[in-house]
Amino acid sequence: MSNADDRHAQRRDTHDLERYDIDTAPGDEYLGDTDVGSGLRGYVIGLGLATLLTIASFWLPGTDLVWAPGVPVALVVLAIAQMGVHLVFFLHITTGPDNTNNALALAFGVLIVVLVIGGSIWIMANLDKNLMPMNAIMNMNR
Amino acid sequence: MLGKLSWDVIPFDQPLPMIASAVVALTILGVLAWVFLAGHFPYLWREWITSVDHKRIGVMYTLLALLMLLRGFSDAVMMRSQQALAFQAPGYLPPDHFNQVFSAHGTIMIFFGAMPFVIGLMNLVVPLQLGVRDVAFPTLNSVSLWLTATGALLVNISLVIGEFARTGWLPYPPLSETAYSPGVGVDYYLWAVQIAGVGTLLTGINFVTTILKMRAPGMSYLRMSMFCWTSLAASLLIVAAFPILTATLAMLTLDRYFGFHFFTNEAGGNMLMFVNLIWAWGHPEVYILVLPAFGIFSEVISTFSSKPLFGYRSMVAATLFICIVSFMVWLHHFFTMGAGADVNAAFGIATSIIAVGTGVKIYNWMFTMYGGRIRFATPMLWSLGFMVTFVIGGMTGVLLAVPPADFLLHNSLFLVAHFHNVIIGGVLFGAFAGYTYWFPKAFGFRLHEGWGKLAFWLTLIGFYATFVPLYAVGLLGMTRRMQHFDVPAWYPWVLVAGAGMIITTAGVVAQIIQLVVSIRQRAALRDSTGDPWDGRSLEWATPSPPPVFNFAALPHVEGEEPYWSIKQRAREQNRLRDEPEYEPIEMPRNSPTGFICAFFATVMGFALIWHIWWMVALGALGAFATFVVFAWRDKPEYVISAAEVARIDRANRSARREALATYTGPRP
Repeated sequence: MSNADDRHAQRRDTHDLERYDIDTAPGDEYLGDTDVGSGLRGYVIGLGLATLLTIASFWLPGTDLVWAPGVPVALVVLAIAQMGVHLVFFLHITTGPDNTNNALALAFGVLIVVLVIGGSIWIMANLDKNLMPMNAIMNMNR
Repeated sequence: MLGKLSWDVIPFDQPLPMIASAVVALTILGVLAWVFLAGHFPYLWREWITSVDHKRIGVMYTLLALLMLLRGFSDAVMMRSQQALAFQAPGYLPPDHFNQVFSAHGTIMIFFGAMPFVIGLMNLVVPLQLGVRDVAFPTLNSVSLWLTATGALLVNISLVIGEFARTGWLPYPPLSETAYSPGVGVDYYLWAVQIAGVGTLLTGINFVTTILKMRAPGMSYLRMSMFCWTSLAASLLIVAAFPILTATLAMLTLDRYFGFHFFTNEAGGNMLMFVNLIWAWGHPEVYILVLPAFGIFSEVISTFSSKPLFGYRSMVAATLFICIVSFMVWLHHFFTMGAGADVNAAFGIATSIIAVGTGVKIYNWMFTMYGGRIRFATPMLWSLGFMVTFVIGGMTGVLLAVPPADFLLHNSLFLVAHFHNVIIGGVLFGAFAGYTYWFPKAFGFRLHEGWGKLAFWLTLIGFYATFVPLYAVGLLGMTRRMQHFDVPAWYPWVLVAGAGMIITTAGVVAQIIQLVVSIRQRAALRDSTGDPWDGRSLEWATPSPPPVFNFAALPHVEGEEPYWSIKQRAREQNRLRDEPEYEPIEMPRNSPTGFICAFFATVMGFALIWHIWWMVALGALGAFATFVVFAWRDKPEYVISAAEVARIDRANRSARREALATYTGPRP
């Protein structure tokens, strides 16, 4: 894209400016054309870990490795680990200084999801408590 | 073969929609015939329809918005006149038709009037203010535009073929479920909004990426103009909120098409969940609309007060505060639904708190004007009208945020008056301010000031004359969406509101005349330098209209108000900056992808509405094939030679040199 080229140009232009910390998008990182291998290695490790976690979450409930009522908690842990693997190996979220935007976007996304889901659960539970179900009203009218 | 489609679905027995749609159809056919016969089509196709230039896309968005505002306004005229005539009488609109009119009015005004207007101005201005050559994904931008147009087209097709929803602008179940709305009206709504919503979501992604990734060298976040900041916040809200809308409408679609029970009365459905989810999108949506408008006012007030924006950093903070808190208030749309006092109180308090962010902005705008050299041009008048009107609307909003008061006012015309007060006084005035402010940038000539001022005053007076009576009659207990009424105490207020509508109509006419007069007198209104208002941000550093590449050389930004500092230096040294070294510029090629994609999306949407399944498959396949063909393109760019860039830039430099030579100090 021309825009990528513009950015290259901008980057060269800004080299002398003191605040040169233009962030790079995932896939846009300057590995150079020779170093495709390290990118591929990351994806393979990610795929391996993701597969492992998936298999584990199917295998775990069938065994008595975990105390039975604790199984949902274990599954949640595995699911969060799965998300972490995806974020790191596939979406390239890192803690590096070039990744501030991505980390902020992730934080914003998580905040909104927590607000909307948490709020919805709170509101709907409250409504549930306050509103009588239809058949209960029917029974009262009998 | 044709699903539910037959000759019976065209309302031949109803003269009103038939005549209206016949007039519209004849106008469209006339324009199309003229375009083809006069040989304008190749030009339109090459330069506009397939354009991926953010400025042209912005202009087309705005044009779509202006047309749809007129369509929505004609609905508003019908509603006000119907109520003025329907005191102890049936009026002229049967209930069935009246319900479609108010549903179409809300849907069109929000999704196809306000949204495209705001997004159009963002498209036109944001890349220019950032000092870059286009948005991050130019072809995707064109796809967004045409998908929005698809949605608008589907809504307007419903006027002739079939019917529109009778459920209000947000189709609450169970009324919108198949059991109570068996017709195609709700389906028209669902697919129109769903397809346009995809376009909006893509725009949001595009602008978040553009603003975060593609700023001119030296343009740090805290050097961006206020409009870029509010556009960023609005785009973040689009990305966060529109998926909720998509999912909610998808669930309603599953209910209607496949007999699911997400929101039905029976089989475990919960219609309150729809209300909850739709407002989890709906409240951020109002800030998606009004935040860019706040940005426009910041630009306009600072430019026409000839002062930097007061409290720039507090403005940024207030914008981001509103961006986050807008996701914590949605329950105030349904206080009366039955949640307990604790829930209602929490959301009521959050709603009152969000007004603080807006309050900060209002004070900042006042302090920007304080001590400034104020020029009362049309954009400034819209901004001043906004400040007064929006404060009133905001205060009635804080009143409605008090749950016990809301129990009395819910669904009354008081509420209708409140949200029109903030949407007209905030979003629409902002859009009109931006339209008159940036029109010379887009077309190279200013809009006529006299007609613009007349349009402003008529619209302002018309607005108050229409909606102050609705506040009053709402307090008297009149509910919204009434096809007729029998209460004598309401009648005078309804009549005054109807009279206000006549004044507003005069304002609309003045606005149209302004455009026509300006085009006819464009030679006299010409903006030769590219800086007609003595502006302060980077868009005024380009010629009007800007060349396709915007900037001959990307500007180096060294502070806030980048263009103002360049201009001041030029004035002090009495000469322009040195000519840059011109280099060839690569620009993205135009692409019909967006238009063809949207064509197939229209086919698919229409087929889905009428259950024509083979046509659905055809549309989906066509849209996918278009995307694949685009993905396999091999020449995405073309090069503009250095000589051509130099020629265009030198022409503008000589105009600016001339202006600099005749500069005599700030205008009185």
